[in-house]
Amino acid sequence: MMAPSYNAKEEDGHQPGATGHGGAGTMTNKKPDNTAFKQQRLPAWQPILTAGTVLPAFFVIGLIFIPIGVGLFVTSNNIKEFEIDYTGVDMSSPCYNCSQSYSWNNTQSCTCSVHFSLDQPFESNVFMYYGLSNFYQNHRRYVKSRDDSQLNGDKTSLQSPSKECEPYRSSDKPIAPCGAIANSLFNDTLELYYIDPNGSRTAIPLVKKGIAWWTDKHVKFRNPSGNNNLTVVFQGTSKPVNWRKPVFELDPLDSDNNGFINEDFIVWMRTAALPTFRKLYCIIQKKPNNMTPTLPRGEYILEVTYNYPVRSFDGRKRMILSTISWMGGKNPFLGIAYITVGSVCFCLGLVLLSIHYRYGKRNNSAEISS
Amino acid sequence: MQAVLSSDYSFAQFRFLERLLLVHGRWSYLRMCKFLRYFFYKNFTFTFVHFWYAFFCGFSAQTVYDEWFITLYNLVYTALPVLGMSLFDQDVNDTWSFQHPNLYVPGQLNQYFSKTAFFKCALHSVYSSVVLFFIPYAAMYDTVRDDGRDIADYQSFALLAQTCLVITVCIQLCLDMSYWTAVNQFFVWGSLAMYFVVTFSMYSNGTHINFPASFPFIGTARNSLNQPNVWLTILLTSILCVLPVVAYRFLLIQLRPTINDKVGTLTNHTGFCS
Repeated sequence: MMAPSYNAKEEDGHQPGATGHGGAGTMTNKKPDNTAFKQQRLPAWQPILTAGTVLPAFFVIGLIFIPIGVGLFVTSNNIKEFEIDYTGVDMSSPCYNCSQSYSWNNTQSCTCSVHFSLDQPFESNVFMYYGLSNFYQNHRRYVKSRDDSQLNGDKTSLQSPSKECEPYRSSDKPIAPCGAIANSLFNDTLELYYIDPNGSRTAIPLVKKGIAWWTDKHVKFRNPSGNNNLTVVFQGTSKPVNWRKPVFELDPLDSDNNGFINEDFIVWMRTAALPTFRKLYCIIQKKPNNMTPTLPRGEYILEVTYNYPVRSFDGRKRMILSTISWMGGKNPFLGIAYITVGSVCFCLGLVLLSIHYRYGKRNNSAEISS
Repeated sequence: MQAVLSSDYSFAQFRFLERLLLVHGRWSYLRMCKFLRYFFYKNFTFTFVHFWYAFFCGFSAQTVYDEWFITLYNLVYTALPVLGMSLFDQDVNDTWSFQHPNLYVPGQLNQYFSKTAFFKCALHSVYSSVVLFFIPYAAMYDTVRDDGRDIADYQSFALLAQTCLVITVCIQLCLDMSYWTAVNQFFVWGSLAMYFVVTFSMYSNGTHINFPASFPFIGTARNSLNQPNVWLTILLTSILCVLPVVAYRFLLIQLRPTINDKVGTLTNHTGFCS
């Protein structure tokens, strides 16, 4: 049975008039609005991948990427970097004895001297890094094992650290700073000496401040407030299990670098993303007169106080000296990648252009056969 | 009346059937398939990156991205754009759909979302995830900032990977959409802007001071997004993810144009866009 309000002769879209029999009073109009939005007629752009857009895009990308890649590669090549592994794996290496004789109860630190020479002088600020390999700072349980409230200076968290820090949460007293990351703080000491041609050693001044992010040093990490004397503030807590001295003795001479805001500690707490990483250890400032290079060519000695054991998990320790540019440290990958992608793009553009000329025009007819 | 009440669609005159099938039915099939393909693509890409990272984090299930990003990715950053595509997309407008009824054939042949289409989408995701992980990995390997400080730390790497991902899936969506209305544009660019706004506000000083344990990524956005090599990495990753797709689709249009492509070209040539 036909719905009473419809008339077969009616035009599409017209409202049924008073001809509808059986309808009561006024009819409600169920017709949707004839707006562009509701009738799906919104003004729009319909992009199509034509030869006129795609091919120039490929060529332009190729022409832009190749110079960028060349610039990056040249910049990276101009950065000077020197790396030396001082783990002491071989019997012939200077730190072999230290690496073998490690024991947790050592009160006597083992020192070793590593000789190396720089072929080229290093200009401008030189940055000294320590690098670790096969050290998974990005392991999930390790990354979780910290208490950011405690490191932010919260008194409650100081005395009762987060459960995430287990098993480094407390040993008879709550541990400050708690967690596995803090517990495994890198504690080797590196010193650099230059050997003059006439044989005398000169110590090279190393600046240990300004190595952490500003936001880390001033916002994220704060010592608990209440007393300028950190020994008093940290009363009731104990040092992490593997540390030799407590956190308020990390740098007793400089109150701006003691406690949680010690820059070496902050740099270590910023966990690395990959198992091979480097962390900033200190900065060698450039000489005030720009004539002499910061690190001239010649022989050097690296004095290592070997405190950090890595042999047990087949890790490696190294010291890196590097200059810096606008793109950071020496990393030729980006330059090579840009050059490669740019050339592939350009060649692909040429290939597509030839395909378009041979086959494309043939198919571009106005006839559309079914 | 009972048939009307229990049916999905009902209409009063037989001539409405043509419009229902050839215009709305076809658009509906197209939108559904594009939505599904894109949704699988963006989520597979998001997840496969963790597969590659597992080789470098000791298989400990450490996430590459920030936890907040993982929560907000499907909720805020990519929800509206894909919704916009599935509501407004049209490959060919309604007048041309009437004139070329054989545009309906792909739907009958189940061409837009089949096992083959799904497999191709998964393959595309694997390729994208390889690019989205290994390019930032190689770019950040043993790298530092331009003032010598850390940039290869976990938080900066997470920020880089997630920014690359969001930008890449946005560009991919722009390639998938064939009908760009103002609403779509607003959704896409708005979501991208939202990503940066939310990221910067979550990584700001204020949020960390109030909730230190929940927002530990403080300072990461400021300290890594002001580095030129980070932006160069993002640019390289996005272009490398998208270029093969563009080349492949262009080749298909040149060598094996479908009816949609031919009608689309005609539409463009005669300037008949609504």
